[in-house]
Amino acid sequence: MDEIIRVENLKKYFTFKESVFSREVKHLKAVDGVSFSINRGETLALVGETGSGKTTTGRTILRLYEPTSGKIFFDGREITKMPIKEFKKIRIQMQMIYQDPYSSLNPRMNILNIIAEPLKELKEDNIEEKVLELLQSVGLRKEHMYKYPDEISGGQQQRVAIARALGVNPKFLVLDEPTSALDVSVQAQILNLLENLQKEKKFTYLFISHDLSVVRYISHRVAIMYLGKIMEIGTVEQIFENPQHPYTRLLLQSVPVPDPKDKNKRKKLILPGEIPSPLNPPSGCPFHTRCPYVKDICKEKEPEYVEVEKGHLVKCHFAGEI
Amino acid sequence: MNELLSIEDLYLNFRTFWGMAYVLNGIDLKIYKDEVFGLVGETGCGKSVTSMSILRLLPSNAEVSGRIIFEGKNLLELSEKEMKKIRGERISMVFQDPMSSLNPLFKIKTQMVDVIKLHHKISKEEAIERAIELLKAVNLPDPNRILESYPHQLSGGMRQRVMIALALSFNPSLLIADEPTTALDVTIQKQILDLILELKKQYHFSVLLITHDLGVVAETCDRVGVMYAGNMVEIADVEELFENPLHPYTQGLLSAIPDPRYKKPLKPLRGNVPSLLEPPPGCRFHPRCDHMMPICKKEKPKLIEYSKNHYVACHLYGGDVNG
Repeated sequence: MDEIIRVENLKKYFTFKESVFSREVKHLKAVDGVSFSINRGETLALVGETGSGKTTTGRTILRLYEPTSGKIFFDGREITKMPIKEFKKIRIQMQMIYQDPYSSLNPRMNILNIIAEPLKELKEDNIEEKVLELLQSVGLRKEHMYKYPDEISGGQQQRVAIARALGVNPKFLVLDEPTSALDVSVQAQILNLLENLQKEKKFTYLFISHDLSVVRYISHRVAIMYLGKIMEIGTVEQIFENPQHPYTRLLLQSVPVPDPKDKNKRKKLILPGEIPSPLNPPSGCPFHTRCPYVKDICKEKEPEYVEVEKGHLVKCHFAGEI
Repeated sequence: MNELLSIEDLYLNFRTFWGMAYVLNGIDLKIYKDEVFGLVGETGCGKSVTSMSILRLLPSNAEVSGRIIFEGKNLLELSEKEMKKIRGERISMVFQDPMSSLNPLFKIKTQMVDVIKLHHKISKEEAIERAIELLKAVNLPDPNRILESYPHQLSGGMRQRVMIALALSFNPSLLIADEPTTALDVTIQKQILDLILELKKQYHFSVLLITHDLGVVAETCDRVGVMYAGNMVEIADVEELFENPLHPYTQGLLSAIPDPRYKKPLKPLRGNVPSLLEPPPGCRFHPRCDHMMPICKKEKPKLIEYSKNHYVACHLYGGDVNG
């Protein structure tokens, strides 16, 4: 399988001062040593709670934020330090879809112009024909071309955002919570659309989400993030059927199951407390403050990754023992 | 079972710049004592305005008709003064976004004491004591520190706990929770839902839980009402609804949601929710329905009891014959 994206020990620290007068510069470690790779035609889901660094990871890969350290490879070439002029030619093959489709579309342009804009950049001919083709590929019709974003529904807006991204023939898409602003019936339409496009065009997705039911549906592999670090990564079956990290297990148990009979079958544990502030992360294992199995070593030493099965990595001192 | 709230034939229209919006189209619903009733539906189906009608917190361009009987009184006929006593004392509400329901300029202490003193004639010291008691009841650690904090110093989950504490301050018999966990992470959602269920047992109130999340419904509710474009299309016990959904819309919703336990194919519903300025005639779901019949375009189906405690409003189930 050929690799489209490879990330090695990626770090993104935001620096700030407590007040205008203070000399001390502080760091917010939003992404703190993340490594993974994604193969062509594959979907990797980045899952985590608010503040876990999943969106920052996605944006840093596209260099919308400049990485603090680490390496990013796209299609075999390192892009981390590439001059921005050169990188722009490559970035056009990497596109991003945002959570709120309305705010990612210019309200003063009609749909035709929104989708045509990146095509003009590529100096394509027959732009109107191409736009129509793109609209049809995302399930919209000719009559939508002359409408404005506020005249169409949220689901249709998200389709327009997808059509715009498809226009430049990307290889890799970062999907940042693409369905969380949508109703469930529309969410299913968009998920099916994304899946069909992937099958047709061999797209590679980085799917950022906090919704584990959606992740179960759409992804091939899953990475669970907590305070800027990947705690567990594996195939979707490994993560959902054989979760090894205590955080993954507790997270999965918090997900509501749409089956009332299920609530009596399982005794559910509650994950206590809340995610600590990334300004002041705990020592050792970042999860130790909430972990039910915490031992002394967890407070002192940060665990290494343990490969419990092929391709299934767990960042826990007691991986395979709990 | 004891009836606590009964909504009968509730219509609600909004006069707008673009014309009349027909927002609620004859809602019927009963909530019993000590139960959690879930109201589900998509954006714009009328779940939130139903709860706003119960509390009579509607804007001035609203036209309401029908009956809302709560503890023997028709709320739509009460004077504003009588209604003020019902709000907060008998019916409390928790909203989706706890940040916008707390005043960012005042400490939690000021806000809680104000609310408690509004309804109880007690001194400030007694009110503070009551506030501490309430914060303990919602499992907030270190209540004294919380009282001295401003809302922005608390996390989303903690703010929602403060809101629940405030809602409990007068032993209400009905707690309306409008998407109480939608802005929260799943792990915090679980904590808050468990807290509401726990407090319900302790304080014996009923809950009207408004949500779009069928997973949350399955885990917390006893009975469920499904709304679509201003109509109540189906009401049933939660297990019955998931096992044997009757209305094509309910069936569509259930097959459109992903399941965290396994990958199942998703069947999305066709089309979009209709505009309430020009709702489709007859059954408002007919343009998206796979079982559409000629009668569906002409006549609005009545909500009938199809089997015991299972109500449905659909012509497939002979609404006009038995109804």
